[in-house]
Amino acid sequence: MMKHESIETNAGLLLVLTMLAISIGGLVEIVPLFYIDETIEKVEGVRPYTPLEQRGRDIYVREGCYTCHSQMVRPFRDEDLRYGHYSLAAESQYDHPFQWGSKRTGPDLARVGGKYSNEWHVQHLVAPRSVVPESIMPNYPWLLENDLAYSDIANRMRALKAVGVPYSLTDDEYQANVEKFGEDVARLLDINNAEANLLAQAQAGNYDGIPGRVTEMEALVAYLQVLGTMVDFSRYDEDYFVQFR
Amino acid sequence: MAHSAVTSTDQYNYEIIKKFAIMAVVWAVLGMGAGVYIASELAWPFLNFDIAEITFGRLRPVHTTLVIFGFGGNALFATSYYVVQRTCQARLYSDALAGFTFWGWNLSLVLGVVGYMAGYSQGREYAEFIWPIDLLIAVTWVVYFWVFVQTLRRRSQPHIYVANWFYLAFILATALLHIFNNLAVPVSLFSLESYSLFSGVQDAMTQWWYGHNAVGFFLTAAFLGMMYYFVPKQAGRPVYSYRLSIIHFWALIFLYMWVGAHHLHWTALPDWTSSLAATFSILLLLPSWGGMINGIMTLSGAWDKLRSDPIMLFLITSLSFYGMSTFEGPMMSLKSVNALSHYTDWTVGHVHSGALGWVAMVSIGSFYHMVPRLWDTKIYSVKLIYVHFFLATIGIVLYITSMWVAGIGQGLMLRAFDEYGNLAYTFVESVTFLHGPYVVRAIGGMFFLTGAVIMAYNFYMTVRAAKREQAAIEAKIAAKMANA
Amino acid sequence: MGNSKIVALVIFFTTYVGILLYVYASKRRSKRLESYKYIPLQDEEGADVDKKAESNHEQRD
Repeated sequence: MMKHESIETNAGLLLVLTMLAISIGGLVEIVPLFYIDETIEKVEGVRPYTPLEQRGRDIYVREGCYTCHSQMVRPFRDEDLRYGHYSLAAESQYDHPFQWGSKRTGPDLARVGGKYSNEWHVQHLVAPRSVVPESIMPNYPWLLENDLAYSDIANRMRALKAVGVPYSLTDDEYQANVEKFGEDVARLLDINNAEANLLAQAQAGNYDGIPGRVTEMEALVAYLQVLGTMVDFSRYDEDYFVQFR
Repeated sequence: MAHSAVTSTDQYNYEIIKKFAIMAVVWAVLGMGAGVYIASELAWPFLNFDIAEITFGRLRPVHTTLVIFGFGGNALFATSYYVVQRTCQARLYSDALAGFTFWGWNLSLVLGVVGYMAGYSQGREYAEFIWPIDLLIAVTWVVYFWVFVQTLRRRSQPHIYVANWFYLAFILATALLHIFNNLAVPVSLFSLESYSLFSGVQDAMTQWWYGHNAVGFFLTAAFLGMMYYFVPKQAGRPVYSYRLSIIHFWALIFLYMWVGAHHLHWTALPDWTSSLAATFSILLLLPSWGGMINGIMTLSGAWDKLRSDPIMLFLITSLSFYGMSTFEGPMMSLKSVNALSHYTDWTVGHVHSGALGWVAMVSIGSFYHMVPRLWDTKIYSVKLIYVHFFLATIGIVLYITSMWVAGIGQGLMLRAFDEYGNLAYTFVESVTFLHGPYVVRAIGGMFFLTGAVIMAYNFYMTVRAAKREQAAIEAKIAAKMANA
Repeated sequence: MGNSKIVALVIFFTTYVGILLYVYASKRRSKRLESYKYIPLQDEEGADVDKKAESNHEQRD
């Protein structure tokens, strides 16, 4: 019979058995998530971020917004009333990295898109207490001062494409996107026109309220305004989502 | 005294341990200082001063990185190198490689926190380091692993003592977690930014598998290794039960890897995953308490030491907090409790009862034991150890209780309805409520920080005295030689 | 998939009970295992001789 002493006196054996013991848990819980069909719901409308929105998301990560804001509405009555429909896995399938967060020092942002005007967001980000006196959020005046860096946007989209986001480079990929998301969206996902698309959306949207300039605020507000707006929940029966949970 | 110092340095590599010990104390003061500052920002938001580099969002990873990887990490390097040498009665393998782990680790920390403040972050909790630093850490860690295992293989003692099993498991698990959680594709070869390989649900699961095992292995298993050496040493008697430590070890390292998903209850993660994690979280209570009992009962029959030895006071209090937070943890992993506690400050309080109560206190106790031995002298002031102990304890109590009030209070407010079925409170009303607890929390943190500063002063004076003693002895020897 | 959860649970549980029995069942083995707990107290030899004297009067069982 094997003695525990054989493990205690053999560094190699101790190492192998320890490795075995610590590997099982992760394998059982993580690996199936990549293979089980039901992990992510099949819903219409969820699309990759546009170049401008993605840059806004980069700024969201840079400023550490996730340290105070979650992006994951749970299926409770109070959260439904306060934020809206609970979050679906599909809604963050293009989020590299995910930003579900773990702490709500401020409210959840998963469905903040469209709830406030662009002007409100700009004012609130520059001076939160000017619109919500009790807020404890820091002021972010530099978002309006800094011009958005977008010269590397094509590189960013290429990196995201490498990790699985369906941005298109070739004609075939573009056609596939047309089929999947429709022509209007597919055009925005074309890496070859990334910079032009970014500028066009900034000009048309004028999210920062400053025509002719593309600030970091522009990108961040564009991102916030799309959060949680991609799925049209009126088109689905509530029971439909339950099977995926 | 003098001759033993000479033999110690010959037999063991103490120089590398001294370096890690000093940096652990430096990072402790800076990291806890950052913690007190961000706690104050939440109580008094004007402290953000409209300076991007010091806003809460950028300073929070500075705090977590410095206390976990700076203070905790350097304390683990120091104690693991100390314990592995002394329990194997062998000198550390390769001074050069051990020196590399010191510079690699601490350079990563400096670059990391400066990067966060400049706006370079991966946006993954407790893994915010950008990809080039992740690579440097990975290399450092592999070298650490190599130094540790090679030292084990040089042992002159046939058995590998239980403390080393825990250190080994921690080194292995951390390597595994670090590598898989940081898989990413850089924007370009010369860009500091990258995008994570996984997205959404899979990314969340990977990150919290990492996140909770950073707690389980970095902040628990490794510090249990510390406990299994320093508690018996300080008590001057062997650990309560070696057989219990065998059970403790295998059950703990096996179970911990399952529980990460309890951070993702009620999210878009499939239900079976987080339910499975909750089940294992409850099971984890057994080995955790087994370990706590093993540590505390080591003192059985010598309880009077608690009255005469402030170091023992630190060690035993740390085990009590370990027991408390490993009870609170499984309770918070129950889906019904989690529905209330998640996203609130209750979680923050729980983390700190583990981090301050268990991790910091067991490290502090071990350091008060180890530092005088490293420099072959006596501690400068035992009285100051008592002062440190009481400041730390008061600090923790203020911290935890204020966060219970904040977390449970906010949780209840957000789920309250009025008589018409409407939400009783707006979100911002709960923020107003948090102000009081946030002030108390910041004060609690200040108590703990003050204790750490006193410890730094005590060590500084100890080392200074040791160097003077050393110089005096050398002068005496030189004089003798000259006379002869 | 069906029964795999139960099967896995049974395997883990029997392994756990096996370790428990191995560690605690035999008196002789228990005594042998417990003898290893003195390892950390032996490191005083050679290195810190004078400190050993200090802690030596402590009762050891």
